[in-house]
Amino acid sequence: MSTNVSAEQRIALPPPRLERGVLGWLHANLFSSKFNSGLTVIGGALVILVLWFGLKWIFFDADWEVITVLGGKLAIGPYNTDAACPGNDCVWRPQAGLLLVTILMGMGWGMAGGGLAKRLALATAIIAAAFAMLPYSLDKMGWDVRLMLAANLPAVGLGWLIPKYTPLRTTRWMAVTGVVVFVAVILLLRGIEGVPGLKPVSVIYWGGMMLNLLLAVGGIAVSLPIGIALALGRRSNLPVVKLLCIVFIEVFRGMPLITLLFMSQVLVPLAFPENFPLNSLMRAAIVITLFSSAYMAENVRGGLQSLHPGQAEGARALGLASWQATLFISLPQAIRNVIPAIVGQFIALFKDTSLVYIIGMLDIVEFGRAFIQGNPEYLPDAKELFVFLALVFWIFCYTMSYVSRRIEHNMGVGRR
Amino acid sequence: MVTTNDDAGAPDDIIICRDVNKWFGEFHVLTGVTTSVKRGEKVVVLGPSGSGKSTFIRVINRLEEHQTGDIIVDGVPMTNDVRNIDAIRREVGMVFQQFNLFPHLTVRQNITLGPMKVRKWPRNQADEIADELLERVGIPEQSEKYPAELSGGQQQRVAIARALAMQPKIMLFDEPTSALDPEMIKEVLDVMRELATSGMTMIVVTHEVGFAREVADRMIMFDGGRIIEEAPPVDFFISPQQERTKLFLSQILA
Repeated sequence: MSTNVSAEQRIALPPPRLERGVLGWLHANLFSSKFNSGLTVIGGALVILVLWFGLKWIFFDADWEVITVLGGKLAIGPYNTDAACPGNDCVWRPQAGLLLVTILMGMGWGMAGGGLAKRLALATAIIAAAFAMLPYSLDKMGWDVRLMLAANLPAVGLGWLIPKYTPLRTTRWMAVTGVVVFVAVILLLRGIEGVPGLKPVSVIYWGGMMLNLLLAVGGIAVSLPIGIALALGRRSNLPVVKLLCIVFIEVFRGMPLITLLFMSQVLVPLAFPENFPLNSLMRAAIVITLFSSAYMAENVRGGLQSLHPGQAEGARALGLASWQATLFISLPQAIRNVIPAIVGQFIALFKDTSLVYIIGMLDIVEFGRAFIQGNPEYLPDAKELFVFLALVFWIFCYTMSYVSRRIEHNMGVGRR
Repeated sequence: MVTTNDDAGAPDDIIICRDVNKWFGEFHVLTGVTTSVKRGEKVVVLGPSGSGKSTFIRVINRLEEHQTGDIIVDGVPMTNDVRNIDAIRREVGMVFQQFNLFPHLTVRQNITLGPMKVRKWPRNQADEIADELLERVGIPEQSEKYPAELSGGQQQRVAIARALAMQPKIMLFDEPTSALDPEMIKEVLDVMRELATSGMTMIVVTHEVGFAREVADRMIMFDGGRIIEEAPPVDFFISPQQERTKLFLSQILA
């Protein structure tokens, strides 16, 4: 019968030649139609042009000397200058802070046992240690500075060992240790009156990447919980709580960060003229954190609204109290759903830390700009400096983006 | 003589509803619902959509709030007192049409969450009961998977196990098979049959007539927010008293 197919005829035929191999890939992805072929040619030409002039500039035309002249000052700003630290013997303090952070990341690696935490910890230690190997002509660091940078490698190992041999191996203890490390770093940088070797360094001299990172880490760590609280408050049934949260969110979202920073320096001292306990760095940190938490609240609220009402019903039907349903059911899912928005806010916050220049703080960008302004012989090199700064920011922001993608992947976002 | 206001209930009634009324805005969704359910009784609730049958079982564990009338579950009156509501919810398990499993938790975590957080059991005790229940609903090998990795029928069986893990005295089923493919309906109904033979008190909203005939002690017919007919399945299916019931049965049995 004609409808019967013999066993031989049922053997699969190979796909047509144009669907396989390099040619097939080219055809499917670059030259599938006349229009797409045209786009491919134009796009290819653009890429070649950009690469040609870009690489030529980077390797032949650009003068990178300004970076080496600034050197470690990009990391710590004016922290170790005569005005900040008479005797210029304070550079070990930010370095010790870095070592503490490296130990903490090593602990994260030891606790997680590998994966993302391992890659981050090793990358931090290796990059920090690599700076110790810079040739003397590039960065005029002393041996003590180089040794403390190289110490980041043993530090990450030490951190890795801690969860193996001490009880500091749970998420809770990691969080506690993280807070302790943050406070310790602040104390190291701030100094303690009367302790030899820890003479106080005023916060107005804290600068460089150190300042950006301190503001960003503090802001990220505090703005997420505040944002969650505001988001829950905005959905609350209690009218007063709800109103307060809405007012807070809309006020902080409705003003530019620069305005808020400026007001924090000008208006707050006017309102509290005598002995106001908060220094300018603290006020900037609080403003950045509150500003960011208003955005965070709306991200989290979006996540909460994306949940099916059946989730809360399922939790209630099991007899969970409403705070338990929120903590164990709604929030984990809500936050998971909006990780991209939350990390976007983290990245925005990190980049916004540069705005503290408006209140006279010397973050990495402002420090570089001020250096060029004060040394006009480097004026032609401004573009090299800003390209370099852009690269530094990109590396940190891309790392955050990468971490968020890995976390999303590990949580199975979009799949379950 | 001891006076009692239990005019709608006898001592072995585990659920008592007296003149329960509920409105959604202007819409009167439950109108003077009075009935009771005995310990170990299996009740199947039928009715057209919008007749109030789902709302009826949702007021029993306060997923919906009724406005007037009394509901007493296992001797605890349903009031606005959170302690009463929590006490009732601990004793009443519920299975939903859309399963409502928690997608960010594994099957095992879905089942152990209630016992650990509400009953405050230690993890190993909760794990033990989870294994036992997964065995009972026929999917012991799926405990470490996430709900999205299971078929609809398996998810609904996990949902039943999750409700049973709280060791409830009453199980409510809100159209448990309506979202399932035909070949998965049987595996869920089999689990429910087994549960019925174990003596559990069950209220089931379903259109599965075969299941109702086989398992139910009593049928309740809802229409327009009222109970219009209550009868054992034999009488209910063979000689319904109300014209509305006859019409409805002729439509779902067609």
